[in-house]
Amino acid sequence: MSTDTAKPRSTGPVAAVERLVQNHGSSLARVAMVAVFAFLWVPIAVLVFMSFAEGGVLSFPPKELTLRWYFVFLENDTAIDAIITTLQVSLPTTLITVVLSTLIAYAVDRYVFPGRGALQLLATLPIVVPLVVTGVALVLFFGLIRPLIVLNGYPAVVIAHVVRTIPFATLVIIPTFLTFDRQLEEASKDLGADELQTFRQVTLPNVFPGIIAGGLLAFTLSFNEFVFTYFVKDSATTTLPVYIWNQIRYNVTPEVNVISVVFLLVAVTLVLVAVSLTRVDLLARR
Amino acid sequence: MGTETETRAPSGESTLLTDLTDFFRTRPRLKKLAIAGPPYGVLIGFFLLPLVAMLVISFQEGQINGPWTLANYTNFLGSQTYLTVVWRTLVITVQVTVLVTVVGYTLAYSIVRFSRRATLLLLLVILPFWTSYIIRMYAWINILQSGGVLDSTLQLFSLPSVGLLYTQPAVMIGFTYVWLPLAVLPFYASLTNMDADLIEAAKDLGAGPIKTFFTVTLPMTKNGVITGVILVFIPTFGSFITPRLLGGTNNIMIGMVIENQFKSAFNWPFGAAIGIVISVVVVLLLVAGARGGGNLFGSSGGERT
Repeated sequence: MSTDTAKPRSTGPVAAVERLVQNHGSSLARVAMVAVFAFLWVPIAVLVFMSFAEGGVLSFPPKELTLRWYFVFLENDTAIDAIITTLQVSLPTTLITVVLSTLIAYAVDRYVFPGRGALQLLATLPIVVPLVVTGVALVLFFGLIRPLIVLNGYPAVVIAHVVRTIPFATLVIIPTFLTFDRQLEEASKDLGADELQTFRQVTLPNVFPGIIAGGLLAFTLSFNEFVFTYFVKDSATTTLPVYIWNQIRYNVTPEVNVISVVFLLVAVTLVLVAVSLTRVDLLARR
Repeated sequence: MGTETETRAPSGESTLLTDLTDFFRTRPRLKKLAIAGPPYGVLIGFFLLPLVAMLVISFQEGQINGPWTLANYTNFLGSQTYLTVVWRTLVITVQVTVLVTVVGYTLAYSIVRFSRRATLLLLLVILPFWTSYIIRMYAWINILQSGGVLDSTLQLFSLPSVGLLYTQPAVMIGFTYVWLPLAVLPFYASLTNMDADLIEAAKDLGAGPIKTFFTVTLPMTKNGVITGVILVFIPTFGSFITPRLLGGTNNIMIGMVIENQFKSAFNWPFGAAIGIVISVVVVLLLVAGARGGGNLFGSSGGERT
């Protein structure tokens, strides 16, 4: 350490830290990044690894690798049923959520009306209320309206999932509407198209990637949703996360590793597609 | 009317739709209602009303439509056991929030200042967030249980095993793992939106890196930090999955008590009262955060560009 400045070096712990940051900032940052990324991805790697382990759970590093658990999983009717149930919930949920979120985005972007700010707030609010609170509130509500209308099991789960996914889909879809150049619509109307034609032939194609991305995120979220489902479901509506929960609580079989890997692949693929359709940095732009 | 629509509508366009468009074109207020109405209805009907229902039921005794009472609240707030659980929940939540904020901010800062592939790295951070919560917990059960991945790895280096599962550190690790991706987003956003010239200016004026950070960078990104803190604090405070799967019976948190009321004790109004208590805590925190300048709703707002 040679002093290359005319000033005498200050001493003390603070100065030492300052010098460290000054000289090795980028390497410190690199170490921090590697450590955190390891923390985020090692558990996922462990899961994938375990799904091929001969002994299933509890033996690390595995002595032998096998595909056995994958075949066991494919022959497990309960697990396959859970997957089918999950899709039966997630697909309608996605469709309903995308329509509602697109309406929210269109309304907020186009119109000034009383309650516009409240609509935006309402669409975001479900994110900030603890899941257990909303989940319980839904159960109580469905119980309260039972004399009027019976909503339990499947329809209740779909409704809960719609509430859960609307905020996320809306957050993705609104920016695509905001960045859309509305002069294109003006041009379309000048050329004689009415509002509906304009929406279908000009607006929709332009905002479509954002809508698809919002839908993919809604689907991913619904596919993984546990808390709401756990509270409002009846015994017939066991989605995959609930199935895994039961497995973990009562009898872990190595198949859970396999199901987890299947889950991971589905989620990661969908999110990557969604991200390629929108720009991830839009989420970070305020 | 009929002939007019035929000349305006191209062939193949249903006249019903065209009629609808005409109908709404002359009634703009009705059109706004038709567009904003359905989402409004769903959010009020299945989000706001249930919360109101919970408030109402929390004043009933034993079951829905039971006699009116304050007992649920007095039993809860007057019980040493429950207050201990609330206190433990608060302590764990604060610890988790601090941990996630420090680690997340460090990560966001490193990505923004020291990497060229920010978008890719950000994606690598967010991806785990989109996988199932239960599965992420299950991965940590595999790692932390006695004789699990962590212990086996320690054995390879002939170190003593730790068997962390069902301890408080396990709960902390689980929460940190789950919320870190979520917290990094607002930190990253506020750091990228900050004017980097300010840092140069501070340095030119003779401030060292530490002074620059605490007098320029941190105050400039305060809103992002507050938003991140809120995003971590709220779900942690109400969580029951992580403490149940990783904490066992020694680390009971308030969310587990609610779950228990609904899944095994079947005292719904009492569970509702606890839910209301949690909500009050959360609302107070949100108000404090909003006054401090957090921006939870900004991303959905914004003006047209």
